[in-house]
Amino acid sequence: MTNPFFIAASADKYSIARLADIYNESRVDYIVPMPMNTKRLHDYVAQYDVDLSASVVAVNQDQQVAGIGMLGVRGTRAWITRLGVIPTRRGRGVGQFIMDSLLTNAVSRGCQSVLLEVIEGNEPAYGLFSKLSFETTRRLLVIRRAPNPLPAETLRVEPLNIDQITLFLSRRPPVASWLNETPSILAGGSTVEGLCVSLDSGEMGWIVYRSTPFQLSHFILGSVTDDLSDECARALLRVVHTRHPRRDTKVENLPADSPLWAAYQALGYGIEFTRIEMIKPL
Amino acid sequence: MSKIVIIEDDAQSARLAARVLKKAGHEVILAEDGEIGLRVVFEHKPDLVLIDLGLPDIDGQTVIGLIRENDDAKHSLIVAFTAYPEDTAAEMAKAYGCDGVITKPIDTHKFADQVAGFFRRD
Repeated sequence: MTNPFFIAASADKYSIARLADIYNESRVDYIVPMPMNTKRLHDYVAQYDVDLSASVVAVNQDQQVAGIGMLGVRGTRAWITRLGVIPTRRGRGVGQFIMDSLLTNAVSRGCQSVLLEVIEGNEPAYGLFSKLSFETTRRLLVIRRAPNPLPAETLRVEPLNIDQITLFLSRRPPVASWLNETPSILAGGSTVEGLCVSLDSGEMGWIVYRSTPFQLSHFILGSVTDDLSDECARALLRVVHTRHPRRDTKVENLPADSPLWAAYQALGYGIEFTRIEMIKPL
Repeated sequence: MSKIVIIEDDAQSARLAARVLKKAGHEVILAEDGEIGLRVVFEHKPDLVLIDLGLPDIDGQTVIGLIRENDDAKHSLIVAFTAYPEDTAAEMAKAYGCDGVITKPIDTHKFADQVAGFFRRD
């Protein structure tokens, strides 16, 4: 982590408001605009187990902030996120410096692997991560559905309580992306809702999601009885959108090869952008 | 003269767009995030809303959905004002009921005509 031009300051020395400013400044020309205000970043840090003491702000010799990178930690796994370099300070290896600092911090916290996601088309970042021995694991879709009321249907629907939600989420195979792992979902607190739907065929499916006043998100679908059929997946999505007809919906990190994608498309979802998930053993 | 609300968190981009539109004779109101933008749109019921899709508090798409659901404001023209890749922006704009897209950065020589074009179409 030697670079004569920069030092890595611990992000917990900065206020969330200042970190949001630095992050926004670093992403001002990003391939997909995703600025954050103080509240949004505060929630993000809490919900995705971002460890600010392991996250870094790169500062140059003139004490100017050059970039930022955050590290989430769950057990022996780490996740790099919110990485950015301020445009006017690029080109002196600051991106690699931040990455090296985050990897060192992950190792010092006992992590055995590091995950990250990069937006498809961001070749400089993908090149840097490849150079640092990150390997591609899969493509992840970020999909959206505009508010669009659906005709009411007669389906047997039962709300799930938090214990049932937790149980269903825990039964999933460990393949969810960081944003959709059980701690990420449950961190939504009172915004987390769950429904169970029974089809005439006897199949029973469940769906867990977050419902805020503005948006539905974090959809997780599963079957109680068997593998989730396309018919059941569509029924689950229809039930949610019938209950929340005026709500915008954003579902992040659906694996591009997920069999559920067809059901989402049938309900009017479109791709906003695609991420590439990468992993590096430590 | 038309009343235009610009919902844009990038102050430099917002000021530039506002300057061009004011010079073209429009009344312009700036809003720096989605929540303020919604308040301003519901209060002023503008003829046209220029909205960045990447806002720091609420996604621009979500704001557009909420404007379209509001009986008083839903007839405003809405134009996505975005740095998203053009194809994605066009698809998003269509899905969310926008009247069009203007990609950033703006061309100051064409911008006022681009905006005027939405009024002519209307």
